[in-house]
Amino acid sequence: MAEMWISMGPQHPMTHGLWTLKVKVDGETVVDTEPDLGYIHRGVEKICEARDFTQITTYCDRLCYASANTWSHAWIYAAEDLLEVEVPERAEYIRMVAVELQRIASHLMWLGAYCPDVGNLTGMVWCLREREMMMDLLQELGGSRMHYNFPRVGGVKRDLPIGFAMRCRAKLKLFLDRIQEYEAILDESTIFLVRTQGVGYAKAEEMINHGVTGPNTRAAGHDYDVRWAHPYSIYDELDWSPAVERPSIKGSDCYDRYRVRVEEMRQSALMVLEGLDKMPGGSETHHESGDPAILGKAPARAAEGKTGFHHFEDSRGESMFYIAGGGEARGKHPYRVSIRSPMFITIPYAAKCMIGYKIADIPAIMGSFDPCIGETDR
Amino acid sequence: MTDDILNVRGWVESASQFLAEATVGQSRHWGFVDSVAFFLTELIMAIVIFGAIMNTLLVLLWMERKLLGRFMDRRGAVTSLRSLWVGENGVTAGEWWNQLPFGVGKPIGGINRALNRIAGNDHELEAVRRVQNRSYHGVWWLFPGFFQNLADGMKFLTKEHMVPEKSDRFVYEVAPFLIIATTVMCFTFIPLGPHFFSNNSEMSILFLMAVFSVAPLGVFFAGWSSNNKYTLLGGIRSAAQLTAYEIPLLVTVLSVVVISGSFNMIEVIEFQANSGVWNIFLLPLGGLLFLVVMVAEVERIPFDMPEAEAELVEGWWTEYGGMRWGLMFAAEYLRTYAACLLFAHFFLGGWEAPFEDTIPFISMVPHVLWVFLKAWFMFIFFVWFRAALHRVRTDQILEFGWCYLLPLSLVNLAMAAALRLWVYDGVAGEWPILVPILITSIGLALFVLLAIDEDPEALAAQTRPYSVQTTDAAGPGQHRE
Repeated sequence: MAEMWISMGPQHPMTHGLWTLKVKVDGETVVDTEPDLGYIHRGVEKICEARDFTQITTYCDRLCYASANTWSHAWIYAAEDLLEVEVPERAEYIRMVAVELQRIASHLMWLGAYCPDVGNLTGMVWCLREREMMMDLLQELGGSRMHYNFPRVGGVKRDLPIGFAMRCRAKLKLFLDRIQEYEAILDESTIFLVRTQGVGYAKAEEMINHGVTGPNTRAAGHDYDVRWAHPYSIYDELDWSPAVERPSIKGSDCYDRYRVRVEEMRQSALMVLEGLDKMPGGSETHHESGDPAILGKAPARAAEGKTGFHHFEDSRGESMFYIAGGGEARGKHPYRVSIRSPMFITIPYAAKCMIGYKIADIPAIMGSFDPCIGETDR
Repeated sequence: MTDDILNVRGWVESASQFLAEATVGQSRHWGFVDSVAFFLTELIMAIVIFGAIMNTLLVLLWMERKLLGRFMDRRGAVTSLRSLWVGENGVTAGEWWNQLPFGVGKPIGGINRALNRIAGNDHELEAVRRVQNRSYHGVWWLFPGFFQNLADGMKFLTKEHMVPEKSDRFVYEVAPFLIIATTVMCFTFIPLGPHFFSNNSEMSILFLMAVFSVAPLGVFFAGWSSNNKYTLLGGIRSAAQLTAYEIPLLVTVLSVVVISGSFNMIEVIEFQANSGVWNIFLLPLGGLLFLVVMVAEVERIPFDMPEAEAELVEGWWTEYGGMRWGLMFAAEYLRTYAACLLFAHFFLGGWEAPFEDTIPFISMVPHVLWVFLKAWFMFIFFVWFRAALHRVRTDQILEFGWCYLLPLSLVNLAMAAALRLWVYDGVAGEWPILVPILITSIGLALFVLLAIDEDPEALAAQTRPYSVQTTDAAGPGQHRE
């Protein structure tokens, strides 16, 4: 059979977003790939130059529709670095709870999308069922279900609602039990194993050279987690260690990437439980919005020539914000905001990972890298 | 032949005979009376069988929705024709009955209001409060959602028929009819009862298998003529897969034929009824093979490569829409239904009731009921596979077919021949009672042994049995600056 190019996307079940993967196939075998990104470029970086620091939080929420809280928190930490704000410790704990719940929700969204990629709808329905619990918890914090706009420069918008800790503990306890159900339908299914094991090998060295970060590299045995290697917030006060897979000599396959995310979900749940216990002031107390216990004082303007930077462990890798403050000339706005999206780097690498495998492996491999196009195109 | 209180064929035969004698028999063509009566019988029976199959097909679709809802921890979809009629949240579709003259529509409005009160989508009903969880609404005895597919079909009927500009138009138009017609034709040869069949030809199984394997050709035509890369790949996959699975299927069917000593479907069932043992207890391997191969033949998960929606959008039927798509979807389910009915006939004794000879008065139950119950029972397996399993890759599916199913089906055929030759020659009355018991227990023991392939030590250590990698936690301080 002659070789031919297939254009998968921009609207295709495999893409998990809006982009095109051009695949050159020889029969069923993938010979070459070419990702084509940029369909939903919104110019967030440029928009940020005309917004003040609180308003930008709303835009950063919309960077990734599956993992809004991690992105707005990444922005907030960079802005606090720029504005030199002292954050109350209680606020840091609340942020950790919000971010880790968001990470669980994001990984559940990933697993829910990955199961149909390899042909099982039950996993999707189960994962979205548990994601609802996380969404409900996040809704209690942020007030909305998808884009929470939760953090503020210097703290958080709201304290934990009354009874939140109780509900959160109960739901996470249930969730930790439910993870075993996913493992029962995935790990113990031979078909899932033959579809994911030995497919889509990615080596740690190659990924590091490309700049791939996050769970994808941890699946390849590289135990680098920003929360662990460069602890920000209160991550060094918690008793945890990153989930790392031991890959085979050929690198990490789709199964490793699946395992590492399931382990991360478990770990995030345990971290939230621990954070609720250790929270200063107790997790059952509730302060009014704007109370100094949850919101520190922050200047509205950045100093001339000052820059802010933060790298943050997003659900999909290492997200970075680099801000240049504009001084008096720019008013309350930053001079320039630069966003480093982990997926923008991962997707071209993942596209190269598929060469030599079958067409049926394309969704299995691409899905295992957890693409999110909102942040990729920014 | 087994007696049945539902002697449909006999009634139709006598009615057609009467009709033919009353019309043709009175004319100068009286010599054709028997031919006309036979033609009428066949025609009416074909229509009756078609109606029975099409109506009970709704059970299959309803079962699939409800079972999947349970498996997936989600209660199935709630809309149905009834909701079109009853309306939702007290809002009915236009209250057209009030526009009828002289108030003749008032009773209709009253009935509608009553229905709305009892089974409507009212937020005060307990069931509707659970609609948030996609629960059923209304009362169970209305079989909520049962007529969903009629509503779906009406939607398909209203859709435009669009042909891709650069497609091979003739083949594109012919392919769906090839698929649908041959699928419907299968049911001509599948009896629903001892006196409830449309055709009883001598070689009905052979003919059935021939007709059953025409549809893949239509699939390939459809995939190729659409002039779309996805449909082309889907069509090629379908051709490869069905070729690979056709042979084990035929060999497995052959084993049933060998052990029953007939190519006639009715005689296969009568053989099971007379010998007192269903074939599943003699050929458990054959039953398993038949089930697996049939899942592949009707292209359902885990073998739904040709329409793998994750990578091929919708596979070979990507370019079809409207009622052609709807009919092909129906044909897909009809093929599944045929597979279930064939399993019931080949391995579960067809229309014979369980313990028909021992339980008194059980023969009073119409035999067609047992056929349907067995077929629906088999369909549970199809849905179960779909809920529990993932999609297999093309090369894996072909490897599985050629390397495992084909040799196993040959082993099964040899076993059937040995049983027929040396254990039971078809004449000597009943099977030696020990043989089926022995075979079944060996089969069950093998199944259990092969199913428990988990490593008990690994289970105790809470690691996964198939896991080749382990989670290695990073040690404290290893990478911390």
